[in-house]
Amino acid sequence: MATTTATITLTSSDLTADALSLSKTMTMTKAGGAEGLDRVKYIKEINASTAGTNVEVLASDNSQTKASKVYIANLSTTDSEYFNVHIGTSSTQEIGRLYAGDWMLVPWTQSDANADILLAPSVATAMAYEVILFREV
Amino acid sequence: MATTNATLILTSKDLLSDELSLSATATLTEAGTSTGISHTSGLARKKITSTAKGTASGQVTLYTADDFAAIAYMYVKNAATTAGHFIFIYDDTTSGDPIEFKLDAGDWGFIPLHGDKTLSAYATNNPTTIEWIVMGKDQ
Repeated sequence: MATTTATITLTSSDLTADALSLSKTMTMTKAGGAEGLDRVKYIKEINASTAGTNVEVLASDNSQTKASKVYIANLSTTDSEYFNVHIGTSSTQEIGRLYAGDWMLVPWTQSDANADILLAPSVATAMAYEVILFREV
Repeated sequence: MATTNATLILTSKDLLSDELSLSATATLTEAGTSTGISHTSGLARKKITSTAKGTASGQVTLYTADDFAAIAYMYVKNAATTAGHFIFIYDDTTSGDPIEFKLDAGDWGFIPLHGDKTLSAYATNNPTTIEWIVMGKDQ
């Protein structure tokens, strides 16, 4: 069993009157247990889609009772460029929007029969993204 | 304008044959600009007492639609310590209240939000404590 940890640190010296400093670590485990996630998939790709059109980056395996975590980063360096992040296919649910340089780390909840993760770019130009999936089998 | 950073460090010595070590930092800015975000909901901690979505009370509202100008950044953590005590975060604006995230005990998520949907939470156990903060630009 593998031990994989994710630590987030949020800092700001001037967003609030007192400095903001928050740090939390989680160990990625299988659903409802202490055993670590044991599979990983890494993708680094350049978007070839037209603006606003979804492209599947992770296909659901419909494992509703299993745990998985997804890291997605927009590698663009142009401030105005973003990806909309969706779950589903025919009726997609937007779960986030990643502007240039932004990242997200979320548990991937495959609560519906089809819970593919899709990215829709804001522009048709080549935008690079990075995806890492941690999951249990 | 403030300077706010979110840094992620992913590590594992035994998930792969070589050690995994990834670090990513995002400077939190207003949508499409390099201007730093300027407002926050503040760090909050509440008990969720509802075990279902759509019931009369007990869910916790994490973010109200359009409270912040796009884009808003949300950090959320399930503060439970017993594995299997899940928190479900759902879209309280869209018909059917679709579930977006399921957090096991100790799990956290960091999500740049479009900001146009209300997000609420319920849990499998009553009570379950949730912590969260939203940062962005006030409307």
